[in-house]
Amino acid sequence: MPQTAADPTGEVTRFVLTEFLPDVAADRLDPDEDLVASGVIDSLGLLKLIAWLADRFAVPVDEVDLDPDAFRSVAAIAAFVTATAGRG
Amino acid sequence: MTSGTTEAPTVEDLVEGVTRWCAAFSAGHLERDARARFPHEQWAQVCRSDLLRLPFDPDRGGLGRDLVTTMRVLEALGRGCRDGGLSFSVCTSMVSVGVPVQRFGTDAQRARYLTGICSGELIGAHAITEPDGGSDALAMRTTGRRDGDDFILNGGKAFVTNGPVADVIVVYARTHPDGGPLGTTAFLVDRDTPGLVVGPPIAKMGLRTSPFSELSLEDCRVPADRVLGRVGSGFLVLDHVLKWEVLCSFAISLGEMRHRLARCVEYAGRRAQFGRPIGEYQAVSHQIVELKVGAETTAKWLYDTAAKVLRGEPVTTDLAITKLVAGEANLASAMTAVRLFGGNGYTTEFGLEKDLRDAVAGTIYSGTSEIQRNRVAAMLGVGR
Repeated sequence: MPQTAADPTGEVTRFVLTEFLPDVAADRLDPDEDLVASGVIDSLGLLKLIAWLADRFAVPVDEVDLDPDAFRSVAAIAAFVTATAGRG
Repeated sequence: MTSGTTEAPTVEDLVEGVTRWCAAFSAGHLERDARARFPHEQWAQVCRSDLLRLPFDPDRGGLGRDLVTTMRVLEALGRGCRDGGLSFSVCTSMVSVGVPVQRFGTDAQRARYLTGICSGELIGAHAITEPDGGSDALAMRTTGRRDGDDFILNGGKAFVTNGPVADVIVVYARTHPDGGPLGTTAFLVDRDTPGLVVGPPIAKMGLRTSPFSELSLEDCRVPADRVLGRVGSGFLVLDHVLKWEVLCSFAISLGEMRHRLARCVEYAGRRAQFGRPIGEYQAVSHQIVELKVGAETTAKWLYDTAAKVLRGEPVTTDLAITKLVAGEANLASAMTAVRLFGGNGYTTEFGLEKDLRDAVAGTIYSGTSEIQRNRVAAMLGVGR
């Protein structure tokens, strides 16, 4: 997927790999892989991810509905960040 | 609890203030425990003490104190109040409803609920665990289905502390069938809401003056403006509540441990066997040292973790270790006190067997000791 300067996909991918899949190479992670259904991200992981999104991208997590589908994959998380970052 | 001057009371003033109330809070606690009755008379005294106002916004009747100050005062409550059930109900009302409403509530929700929680006119509870659930709290079956401007709640909850006496209950329900942790939403549900049925108090081992019950929700219609936080953010609400619940409830336990330590030191110096005070025997003195070590270790974990919370740092591992250390140390301390007092400790008259029954709960609620170990293991990446 082409990535613009403002596209958070790369950073989200690096975070997911570092925190949840340290043994997986970046090019082996499908941006559309369902991370919740596959158990890669559990409830503790979601807390960590959401705290990071709030801190890194100023996503106003208290002010937006948290649609489960927005956290299922790297692509979905990146889209969520693009739609909500700095909105608070 | 205030000093009566125009200056804001210091932490020491607040500690001294609540300590003065503790004899009244404790009066008749053994009889109440035997009857397993909620102490309405003592609750009214708690309300007059301003204890319930501590961490809340002054605009809503609170004292505007931070987490650490609140814990210091609750520790004093644990040290002075011998009715552990009353202390537990105080903590539950504050953290189950007051804390999340202050953090996530709308202005209307704060106006409706926070003032009452501060004054004690409203008693709060939260409903998380389900009859078929337990440690896997977010795998709940209670559902919340959107219907126009309302949500319709259906399901059942278990072990709802304060349930039989609560005026408002934060109910956690699944609003997305396969949303995982993000499928959960928190709702503020008034006790008189049609479809909410609160069961009778359930007989239990300890904390018997703090009643708990089951709840059933049958087509319970809750206005959408009673969603606490955002739809799907129930686990964020719960995460915030659990930080406060662990730190505040075990601050009370810490006070109880310090009280127990002082009692054991006094007893070991006074009680003589074979011509010497029992404290002169290392078998006894070393047990007392373990009480001291347990209390001080608990204190360090509690207040260090609270300081991290105030600095906005991640505390997932710290909180799990704090809960594990505090729960197990409190139970060990209560058992040691019973054994050190011998036959007297085993009688109800001395109140120590009640402490032991109360302390068992601390290894179960807010996530068992085993679950805390699992959380630490997960944070270490063990088994990943």
